[in-house]
Amino acid sequence: MTTPAVKPKAMIQDNTRCIGCRACMVACKSWNDRPADHTEFFAGEGYQNPRDLDANNYTLITFNEIVTGAKPDWVFGRQLCMHCEHPACASACPTTALSKTPLGPVVFDESRCIGCRACMQACPFVIPKYDYENLAPKIHKCTFCADRLEVGLEPACAKVCPTGAISFGDRDDMVAEAQRRIAMAPGTYIPEIYGLEEVGGTSVLHLSSVPFEQIGYITGLPKSPMPDLTHRWLRLTAPVFAILYGLFAGLSWIVRRRMRHQEHDGEKG
Amino acid sequence: MNWRIQLTWWDKSLLVVMAVGAVFTLLRFACGIGSIANINNAYPWSWWVGYGIMTTIAIGAVGFTITALVEILGVHRYHPFLRPAVLMGLLCYSSAITMLTVELGRPWKVWMVLVSWAPTSALYEVGWCAFLYLNVLALEFVQVPLEQLGWERMLRILRVIYIPIMLLGVTLSHLHQSSLGTLLTLLPHKVNILWWSDLLPLLFLFSAIMAGPAVAILEHLAAARWLGFKPRMDLLAGLACIEAWLVALFLAFQMGDLFYRGAVDAMLSASWFAVSFWVEIGFGLFLPLALLIMPEVRESKSGLATACGLILAGVLLHRLNVAVIGLRVRHWETYTPSLGEVGITMGLTAGAIFAFGWLARILPIHEELPPPQTSPHPAAQPVGALRGGEG
Repeated sequence: MTTPAVKPKAMIQDNTRCIGCRACMVACKSWNDRPADHTEFFAGEGYQNPRDLDANNYTLITFNEIVTGAKPDWVFGRQLCMHCEHPACASACPTTALSKTPLGPVVFDESRCIGCRACMQACPFVIPKYDYENLAPKIHKCTFCADRLEVGLEPACAKVCPTGAISFGDRDDMVAEAQRRIAMAPGTYIPEIYGLEEVGGTSVLHLSSVPFEQIGYITGLPKSPMPDLTHRWLRLTAPVFAILYGLFAGLSWIVRRRMRHQEHDGEKG
Repeated sequence: MNWRIQLTWWDKSLLVVMAVGAVFTLLRFACGIGSIANINNAYPWSWWVGYGIMTTIAIGAVGFTITALVEILGVHRYHPFLRPAVLMGLLCYSSAITMLTVELGRPWKVWMVLVSWAPTSALYEVGWCAFLYLNVLALEFVQVPLEQLGWERMLRILRVIYIPIMLLGVTLSHLHQSSLGTLLTLLPHKVNILWWSDLLPLLFLFSAIMAGPAVAILEHLAAARWLGFKPRMDLLAGLACIEAWLVALFLAFQMGDLFYRGAVDAMLSASWFAVSFWVEIGFGLFLPLALLIMPEVRESKSGLATACGLILAGVLLHRLNVAVIGLRVRHWETYTPSLGEVGITMGLTAGAIFAFGWLARILPIHEELPPPQTSPHPAAQPVGALRGGEG
């Protein structure tokens, strides 16, 4: 039996189909062994709970009160790791504790992590979270259920979504499907796929009925991969090292030789 | 040799600050980072990295700038600054490494950096370079106690490797001082336009080089006052002249970069960012430059102390502006440094100053002072160019 070539996977998060049931959040906790939280309503709007992603919550349905037409309405959004095609977090990690697998998930290897939190700093979506209270803290974020993907299953959240708001498949197919949905119902969707081009493309593609910034998404991100920003400089490391060392060695040699000559002349004089 | 010193009022104050820092450090290791720090999921670095690492390493640049000036450019009249500079470098890097063990979530795993291959990570480069450079500094400095102890064989080995090691140290410094800036080039969406630049690596490198002579001047003045010798005003004036050029060049570079990036509107906007920016530029660059171009300032102790103190504060504020004040995440969480965060960094800084004061009294660090009389081997051969005496 030949193994088929690995095709990168992706999810569509179709916010227009979301009813805010939070089954995805429950399934996510269940699969990832995250404990339940004792939460309180925060000062924000609606019934959103908890306020934000954290070490115990790898995905979150956001409740956004928006006036659509004449009356206020809830428009749901979802937060989870975007699983970038070119992950800034993985590029920033000094120990390769984060890496992107061929199937698409950006995964965390606890055994390599030193806890520098460069990934948290680097992530343009503010996704990786930390358990600061823990004495052996680690990075927490959506895993794309990499362990399920390995054995041919879909992510837990996609599995349980009762309204088809979460679709899972090959990324090429998912992009085509997202484009098809927008084309079929231009009144329902804004003509934008969040994640298609953001920071060079991601493995989670979001659709929405309202502009993404209205439902708490970070917009205005560059279209080019984030790691390019540092790569431009870091690829120069080896040549710059060689050039500088050579330059300093040469300078030092010339200066020392001249000093020796001066001393020599001094002795003669 | 004699390790004991008479503790002065200054030493005791520093010890108190160190004790406070130690208490917070104990708490951090007993109850976790979250128990004492305000860093959170949106602001995972902040004060510890902005001050504890980035500023400390910038101050540590005094080690490689003075080494390059004396040993590579061969300006030997500044030799009296060399040993203090190397010692300050060593202490700054040690302090940064200690900061790292507090700041990292899993400090017992830090060796992982050395067994990984992560060329895309700026932190990986900083980690490797800083680790190697700390060793270089230790090798450079260890000659001083070895001379006192009279370990001739070790000294002979060190003498042979001194020049390649010294060159390595200066090269590594260029690399990681700039890589600290590269770290932040990854955050164009977080760092304010006033400070985020494509050229952050060069800005960090040049500001570190600029910090070097200023720190050397301040140290010399402070040591002259508290250890009791006559400051070498002729040398200080010369170093101040170099410093004026460095400040002018850095100012031109930073301003040129801001204009090129079209950040003029942000410079003139009514925001706290702009205020912080103008404090940094005005008091950290313009004012000291105006002071240093006056010969009477370069020749006065208080003038030099003021100008160099301002430059040092300017570099500190630049690091804080980039990594803390100007770094804003579009998120509901906010950040202000906690007492514990500041307490630990203050303890570390106090520790470094205390260690410097102690070593400066038991070892021949300053050429202006008579060597400590307790050496059992006064005839030990001086080593390489780090030798104690002139010429």
